[in-house]
Amino acid sequence: MHANEVVSSFINLEKKSSPLSRISAIFLTRLKMAFNYKSSFLMTLVLNLVTIMMYFFFSKIKPEMQVFGINATYFEFAIIGLCLQMVVGTSLGSVSANIYNEILSGTWSSVLLHFNFLEYSIGTTLAGVLLSSVSIFLAIGLAYLTIGFYLTITSQEVMLILLLFILIILAHMAISMLFAAFTIFYQKTSNLISLLYQLTKTFSGVVFPVTLLSGFPLIVSRSLPLTYGLESIHQLLFSPTLNMDYIFVNCLIIISFIVLLGSIAYGMVFLSLKNIRKNGKVDWY
Amino acid sequence: MSIKNPDEVIKKFLTQESSPSFFKGLKALFVRNMKIIWQYKFSLLMGFINTLVVTSLFFYISLLVPDLQMTQDNYTVDSISFIFAGVLLLEISTKILMKSMNSFTSEMKQGTFETLATLPFGLRRYFISEIAFEVLYGLILSTVYFIPIFFIFPVFRAVSISAASFFSLLLVALCTILFFFSLSLLAANFTILNKRGKEIAMVLIGIMHLLSGSLFPLQLFPKWLEHIAHASPFTFAVQAFRLCLFGQGVLSDNIIWGAVLFLILSSIVLIATFYFTFNSIYKRIRITGTIHEF
Repeated sequence: MHANEVVSSFINLEKKSSPLSRISAIFLTRLKMAFNYKSSFLMTLVLNLVTIMMYFFFSKIKPEMQVFGINATYFEFAIIGLCLQMVVGTSLGSVSANIYNEILSGTWSSVLLHFNFLEYSIGTTLAGVLLSSVSIFLAIGLAYLTIGFYLTITSQEVMLILLLFILIILAHMAISMLFAAFTIFYQKTSNLISLLYQLTKTFSGVVFPVTLLSGFPLIVSRSLPLTYGLESIHQLLFSPTLNMDYIFVNCLIIISFIVLLGSIAYGMVFLSLKNIRKNGKVDWY
Repeated sequence: MSIKNPDEVIKKFLTQESSPSFFKGLKALFVRNMKIIWQYKFSLLMGFINTLVVTSLFFYISLLVPDLQMTQDNYTVDSISFIFAGVLLLEISTKILMKSMNSFTSEMKQGTFETLATLPFGLRRYFISEIAFEVLYGLILSTVYFIPIFFIFPVFRAVSISAASFFSLLLVALCTILFFFSLSLLAANFTILNKRGKEIAMVLIGIMHLLSGSLFPLQLFPKWLEHIAHASPFTFAVQAFRLCLFGQGVLSDNIIWGAVLFLILSSIVLIATFYFTFNSIYKRIRITGTIHEF
């Protein structure tokens, strides 16, 4: 993206006053910036495919391997979790990481001048999720071409999966906003986001069912929103009968995560912004 | 000395007459990095939890096939120990490569790389010192982190290992570390060109993880992929590491000395490639003026 385009995208915002147009401005700016890092995108795609291939070969270790409580082969079970985990990773890191980059590159004060925090969060998360989704669809397509993986789903299941997908993304965006509050306050990142991502990857039932867990790991698993989302998606895709009550309860749990974490995050960001403005630390690094 | 042509400038930066000795520079860099690490003490705890979580992931994956016995290179072992051994070597190697690449990416992101590149110490010597530090640091961290993890997951308790096998195991581990040092050095060279250090490290580790057979025996691969897998030195490292641990393998075994030789030769090739490509890459980033870009 040309430097002048960045400037004009910010200047033009004065003419665009609705929140939706500001979100779309952030979204488009993020997309344009991401296209400047094509090699990074390509490498992520390769990595996604390699990960899927690894679990494909692991599933061959014992073809009759049982995934407790789920009526599917191991690879069918794992690929759903892996694809979702890749998108979740993006929505988990988007807000916090982008704010840190804005602080590092000195554009943070300009962003604060033109956008409110929620618009910024939604715009960056949407762009990140869209890009990672493209990468995942390409990975699934290649998995189909190379190893013959496919799933048959009805239109009702598609709608329900879409709903669950949106809820999962929102829940992780709220977590990312929470960590963004610390980034804004301290002007640095911690490894907490990557740790949370690793926890999500391990204990949400991405590559093994949560029925294998007990004790403290099970408590960790039940504290992560992706666990409920994945359970519902597995139920939708692999169960012979559709248990709507079960999916509904899981949706309610994820919504509770969104409301609770989102409110705390918004409050903490508000306080952090107030603090850095009061102490004149907006431009600090 | 007045400098008239760009080559002299490069020469000045690469082999500056008034530059400190390599060991003085190395010491200065170690002290600097230790001071930075001390600023992020909390990260050390996070690192341990992260290692514990990664290990848990593979431990639970192995529980999917708890009764499965793996037979390879004339030894038979349960799937949990088989997977855990592969993951152990992988985790240490990942730490080394990721830390090395992250350090360069971080310097570039924060704008300090340009300063480091123009120090009289020289960019090449900075690369070697920085990666030497990260290798040593990654190794110490892995050792400290894995001691409590072995108590939490008592996977290798039933394993008995002779002194000869133990020393062979150490030799294989050392050669693997040397290999990852060399790989980091070459990857760092390309990082200054395309700035994607973290992604390069992740892709390299991902591919080597897949090809190494750390999660499953290589016989599961189609023949063509098995041949490709055998082109990766890390595949031999994992195979030799497991043989020492479970099959009482010693240095005289073909698999062990073959792995040691392959790892050393690969390291030499990687270091030589680093030396041969360094000047042209450095010249290129100077011509294109991208040294400060990220």
